[in-house]
Amino acid sequence: MRKYISRQNLNTLIDKLIAEGRRIVAPRMTAGTPLYEPLGHSGEMIIDQLPRRSAKEAFFPLCEEIMSYEKSGQQVKLTDVDPSRFPETILFAVRPCDAAAIPVLDAVFSWDYKDEFFLERRRKTTVVGLACTTADDACFCTAVGLSPSDTKGSDLFLSPLEGGGYNVESFTEKGEALINSCSDLFAEESNAAYIQLANPQTEAFDLKKVKSWLDEHFEDQLWDGIATRCVGCGACAFVCPACHCFDIVDEGTEKAGKRRKNWDACGFWKFTHHASGHNPRDLQPKRYRNRIMHKFKYYDDKFGQTLCTGCGRCVRICPVGIDIAAIVEEINQK
Amino acid sequence: MCDNANKNIYLPYLTTVMEVIDETPDVRTLRLEFQDDNISETFAFRAGQFAEYSAFGAGESTFCIASSPTRAGYIECSFRSVGRVTEELRRLEVGDTMGVRGPYGNSYPIESFYGKNMVFVAGGIALPPLRTLIWNCLDLRDKFGDITIVYGARTEADLVYKRELNEWQERSDVRLVKTVDPGGNSPAWDGKVGFVPTILEEAAPVAENTIALVCGPPIMIKFTLPVLEKLGFGDDQVYTTLENRMKCGLGKCGRCNVGNIYVCKDGPVFTAKQIKAMPMEF
Repeated sequence: MRKYISRQNLNTLIDKLIAEGRRIVAPRMTAGTPLYEPLGHSGEMIIDQLPRRSAKEAFFPLCEEIMSYEKSGQQVKLTDVDPSRFPETILFAVRPCDAAAIPVLDAVFSWDYKDEFFLERRRKTTVVGLACTTADDACFCTAVGLSPSDTKGSDLFLSPLEGGGYNVESFTEKGEALINSCSDLFAEESNAAYIQLANPQTEAFDLKKVKSWLDEHFEDQLWDGIATRCVGCGACAFVCPACHCFDIVDEGTEKAGKRRKNWDACGFWKFTHHASGHNPRDLQPKRYRNRIMHKFKYYDDKFGQTLCTGCGRCVRICPVGIDIAAIVEEINQK
Repeated sequence: MCDNANKNIYLPYLTTVMEVIDETPDVRTLRLEFQDDNISETFAFRAGQFAEYSAFGAGESTFCIASSPTRAGYIECSFRSVGRVTEELRRLEVGDTMGVRGPYGNSYPIESFYGKNMVFVAGGIALPPLRTLIWNCLDLRDKFGDITIVYGARTEADLVYKRELNEWQERSDVRLVKTVDPGGNSPAWDGKVGFVPTILEEAAPVAENTIALVCGPPIMIKFTLPVLEKLGFGDDQVYTTLENRMKCGLGKCGRCNVGNIYVCKDGPVFTAKQIKAMPMEF
């Protein structure tokens, strides 16, 4: 289904949904930082800045309770978290690089054992993507086979038009349902010209070639060279739309508390540290190698997908200037 | 395999500690019974599988299920107290409640071992992942040929399952070769003195129609594999179990991988042939 919506009507739609009690998550300023956060009203939404962290936390929160425990004498009572309590949510103005990561994450959370914390939120969330009109030096979605107008992962996709407003295309029943719920705010598809999209200055990697190099080079000088300056802060994993490693920890007292699933990062020394003291990834180059391998080889081996959407966040945030796109480009040139 | 649709896959079963056995000064075995009768009846595992054990308030720790699947009604785990969770598990007393998630991972293909001789080679705290299979084989004794167990530890005090070692030693249908490292024996020691690979070579089990199962610290495995090769064992006749730090045990949390192999899903049981094809990341 293709429609048009004016910017004003988009705001009206958001405010109407909020008034109906729907949870709307969109980029907004939070303590001076743009983040995907619940909106109080449409005026809070900002669409001209890439949020600092990705949209994955709408499905996979930074920190979430997975059960609670309460002890009484020798007995323990566990309280389950009921995923049905997760609210219906509409994610607005999601960047194509963030939306594209969501179906990539579906693979790991739904194969074999089903992670209902992710999957129930997934079922209850409608993703409204927004074509990207600005790129910076760190953007490289075009290098990993995506584009500023890629609709992968979006139920509904907004393309900004010259003169204001958006053409709207729906790709799923959820997307159509959203249009149909407020059909009077939408008009017929417009013939106006599209605003020129972002143009990341990156050539497409040959991802098959990159993978086949990685297949043969677990041991290589490259790893020592690129990762000696990595300080293991884990920031790259925390801002990444596709990184999904997590820790499970108990937080509370001996008597009562919660068990939580928290984001973790393969760059941390402790991530693979055995109780015996042995650590299979004892040095930073081994940990950084795992990061590249997981994204461009292991996830492909397992699920046939690349675990990177070229959002460039890790490049922007790295305190020592490690540039994953430059590294993969170097591999691409080998 | 996963009948957990719409369930919280991270929620443990509750068990009661039925027995606490001190194996060594810092290794303890707990016998656990499921508090829910339904789970107690339906919980089925195979030798080689592992579980996530909860000390509520401290977290979870990963160990193999050390008891045999032929012994119904309970499971056992053996662990060394070395961290926050295991210290907390060590404080549990008979009657206390503990959490268990599992069983997870693959298992020994025991049916394919029927009719064969079995050689178990273990060092120190690494006997538990073989003990599950040893009892599994002994409880189905007719299905196997000769059974040899070569087990060593640094000192006599570091040997685990001492009561069972005595039992195996007394059985006529098991050959137990126990050893301690030089200097680790008392005057009364009735076993061998020497490192496991050397003692294995001396014991010289025949390779023909035999499966070897090896568990131990990396250094022991490193020196044991060439001995087995020398004795004529092919890489597909030799099995081991890998351990890497884990959190979920479910193929999601992303830390136990050795290259693109997930120890929690593809393992923990591997043949020497598979191990040799892996990058050095364990």
